Amino acid sequence: MALIIDTLPGLAEKIPGGQVLVTSLDWLLNWSRANSLWPLSFGTKCCAIEMLMATGASHQDLSRFGAEVARNTPRQADVMVIAGAIVKKMAPRMRMLYEQMAEPRWVMATGSCAISGGPFMYNSYHIVRGADEVVPVDVYVPGCPPRPEAFFWGLLTLQRMIRRGETVRAPGVRRKPVLSALPQGIAVQDIRAEIHAALEAENVVDVENAAAASPWHGKLRQWMATNLYKP
Amino acid sequence: MTVNVKTLNDIIAPPGAAASALATEEYFVNMGPQHPIAHGSLRLVVRLDGETVREVIPVPGFVHRGIEKMAEHLSWRQLIHLTDRTDYLSALMNNWAVARTIEQAAGLATNDRIETVRTIVAELQRLQSHALWWGVLGMDLGAFTPFLYGFREREVISEIFEDTIGARLTMNYIQPGGLMYDIHPDFAQKTKRVLAYLKPKIDEYGTLLSGNVILQERLRNIGVLPAARAIALGCTGPVLRASGVPCDLRKVEPYGVYASAEFDVPVGSKGDCWDRYCVRIEEMRQSIRIVEQLIDHIPEGPHTTVKFGARIKVPEGIHYGQIETARGILGVTIVAGGKADAPYRLHFRSPNFNNLWAVTELARGWRIADIIAIQSTLDLVVPDIDR
Repeated sequence: MALIIDTLPGLAEKIPGGQVLVTSLDWLLNWSRANSLWPLSFGTKCCAIEMLMATGASHQDLSRFGAEVARNTPRQADVMVIAGAIVKKMAPRMRMLYEQMAEPRWVMATGSCAISGGPFMYNSYHIVRGADEVVPVDVYVPGCPPRPEAFFWGLLTLQRMIRRGETVRAPGVRRKPVLSALPQGIAVQDIRAEIHAALEAENVVDVENAAAASPWHGKLRQWMATNLYKP
Repeated sequence: MTVNVKTLNDIIAPPGAAASALATEEYFVNMGPQHPIAHGSLRLVVRLDGETVREVIPVPGFVHRGIEKMAEHLSWRQLIHLTDRTDYLSALMNNWAVARTIEQAAGLATNDRIETVRTIVAELQRLQSHALWWGVLGMDLGAFTPFLYGFREREVISEIFEDTIGARLTMNYIQPGGLMYDIHPDFAQKTKRVLAYLKPKIDEYGTLLSGNVILQERLRNIGVLPAARAIALGCTGPVLRASGVPCDLRKVEPYGVYASAEFDVPVGSKGDCWDRYCVRIEEMRQSIRIVEQLIDHIPEGPHTTVKFGARIKVPEGIHYGQIETARGILGVTIVAGGKADAPYRLHFRSPNFNNLWAVTELARGWRIADIIAIQSTLDLVVPDIDR
């Protein structure tokens, strides 16, 4: 009993002949959900070896965190670990897998390919620049591939979020830190438009001139030149 | 001249009556792209009659990232890191294949230290790759325990790589003209410790899985690939050697310091799944043998002969180089010229792509469960097929 009181958010009331645990149902549900995550074994590329296989095997042992029961069908899984690059041919399939998962469901994007396209972001024609263009992602784990320890930290972060009741789909509850402020004179729309133009331009590969013509000559580049490199 | 292209629509119209006396109907089953046997994202369209496989049509392309196209925008040294991400289980051999082709084309010389270290790390990775394959084969066939043992061995070898290379999977270590870093001072000692640990473990595999009657029943005489068909399909590596063709580039066309090392090429007799299994197990023993001979004799010298930042000039023309990776022959074709510092065109002849099409012949006529055994013993890495 003492073990449960230590980790379960609740209150133990002493009554004659034992104790009664007072807690809220939400707390109890979130606590139990966080500690029995079943990952979907969905790996497309190198990260699958490190994220899903090496962590689940001996030495690293994912079962320490209660998430070792990898399921091959999305209908039995809680958390989808996107391990590897998502290409345009795979993207609809990944969305379908996500839709098949039962609520509540969470998504972890591990590795730079799943976060942003990674090493395949530039000069490529077939990659989805970030899995979050296709499915909502809760936790990002950077690395190429991330170390198993990094994956564990990402999993612990997800568990903490679940215990607090935060998810991507409940944004009002989510306390996401603002990482950086934008430089003055540049709006988010400018950057979006610039990225959009760059991605559009990269879809058409000009074999002879692609290396020479860099798409990053917008406002951000100018701002960096005037502000950052000033003597 | 006309070429008849067989599409999926042609196959959906069934050609003939089923062989069985029962009134059966042919149907299709999609294995993948999300399927535990795919080891990545590979779709197999299986035409079935009852449980008998009539035809297997592989549909690759779910991990196609256009690596060959991307390489045209990168310089000779930069494109090495992309090769890690094709066949990630033989990342060092992929590095070496491209580096060796560039060295041969540009006339860069290496020294004995570089070649010896390259050979040792490549053999360690072959060992690691086969250990992983062995574990995953057990898991595919329904035994989860070998998976844990295979990864236990993989982790000890990973520690050597972490010391010297600083990476566990994507190495980016072998560069044109040398190595990225010199080896860790503890490299030789640690490798010897690991080898002494691994040697009895290979025999342990025999008692744990190889002697198991269920495994033998599922592998013996299943998916027989005759030598002539293996050559016609372009299969290489353990798949070809299991069919009885002793073709190993390390012996036939030695590179690195393989010529000075003493080792045998294991060859199968029949070409069934069991032969492919045994060939890989024996290759692990041979890899240990090669590393043991070389580890005490790493010559002194610089770890690279090309200064970092120096431009590598490859003369115009088509250059080809090949290397035996853990899965077969990786050939690299480079078309140089047009641009100063980057390839005009790069093409990989990847072993997995050719080995994949063996499944279309091997699985025909067998049960659907045998596809699992056949796929697993072909040991495919899907990102290398799609690139």
